[in-house]
Amino acid sequence: MELEELKSAWGELDKRVKKQDILNRQIIEKMTKDQYQNNLKKIALPEYAGTIICYLGAAYLSVNIPKIEEPLIQFFGAITIALLLILPIISLQSVRAVRKANPSSYTYLEAIQVFGKQKIKFQKLQKLNVSLGLFLMVIGIPVLAEIQGKDLSQFPLFWTLYFPIGVAFFLGFAYWVLNYYNKALTATEKMLGEING
Amino acid sequence: MDIKEKFTKVIKANEGLIYKITTLYTDGTQDRKDLYQEIVYQLWKSFDTYKEQSKLSTWMYRVALNTAIFHLKQTKKRVDTIPFELEMERMTEEGDNAGEERIKILYEHIQHLNLLEKGIILLYLEGKSHEEIAEIVGISTSNVGTKISRIKEKLKSQIKNNDNYGT
Repeated sequence: MELEELKSAWGELDKRVKKQDILNRQIIEKMTKDQYQNNLKKIALPEYAGTIICYLGAAYLSVNIPKIEEPLIQFFGAITIALLLILPIISLQSVRAVRKANPSSYTYLEAIQVFGKQKIKFQKLQKLNVSLGLFLMVIGIPVLAEIQGKDLSQFPLFWTLYFPIGVAFFLGFAYWVLNYYNKALTATEKMLGEING
Repeated sequence: MDIKEKFTKVIKANEGLIYKITTLYTDGTQDRKDLYQEIVYQLWKSFDTYKEQSKLSTWMYRVALNTAIFHLKQTKKRVDTIPFELEMERMTEEGDNAGEERIKILYEHIQHLNLLEKGIILLYLEGKSHEEIAEIVGISTSNVGTKISRIKEKLKSQIKNNDNYGT
């Protein structure tokens, strides 16, 4: 089968699409309006929901931090609040950067390069998020316990069983997620290498 | 003619191009419809700023292909699509089977090319000149020629291997 032969068959597709009469004025106008709503929805729901949860957590800790007496736990509490405030902002910005890209302002090659770079940035950020999330969990437990007036040393199995199991579970989860992002990163870098090479 | 009417006319005249791009750059009907709408939306967004410095088709290909690229990045989130038919199967009903089979095989092999090659071969199959491909893609005209030769070889060997395994 020769590629030249396929060119004419390819051209035939145009005629068939026209015959099917997919679009009319109403559908086209509706597409331009509804897609605007869709794009807002794509940005709004999941990212904003995550941000609100983080900010509610930060607000709860801020209100309750005066209850903490131990300086080290206070320090952990401050770090936890800072992470809960900063992480969603970084995440939202990276997602928005991709969606803000204006397709009419690039050549095709530039679009691929911008896409590849943004994807790498996004994947690295996801890796950072997973690592910081784990760190957040470790330092968040004593902070929450202190706020709720619970002495962790009174739970004999906490440090010897529950905590190590929790950490092992999250390490396994983090390993799986990081592995996924590492593979995705390698694939993106390879794609960019091929394009630029 | 008002701008909406003009836009509708342009889209109607080029719906085949949008259909082909959405088929090449997505892997499911829902995603295909979403990209279809996104392309129409992006074309509409930049339609009034489109300056007739370049050919209308050049501008359309550029916006549609770039939209397909940026669409790849987005996670699969369910969005509402306008009810319209966009099925490969429907296109084949009235077509000749042999020709259709060839197109399907070609689509499958193009999926194995990298993004740059995919865009270049699509434009080549659309019958674009090397100069126009160079303008849309952003590489030199001589580079277009080199790349097309390489892609042809790549596709030929892929199709040949496929035929060998198939027989």
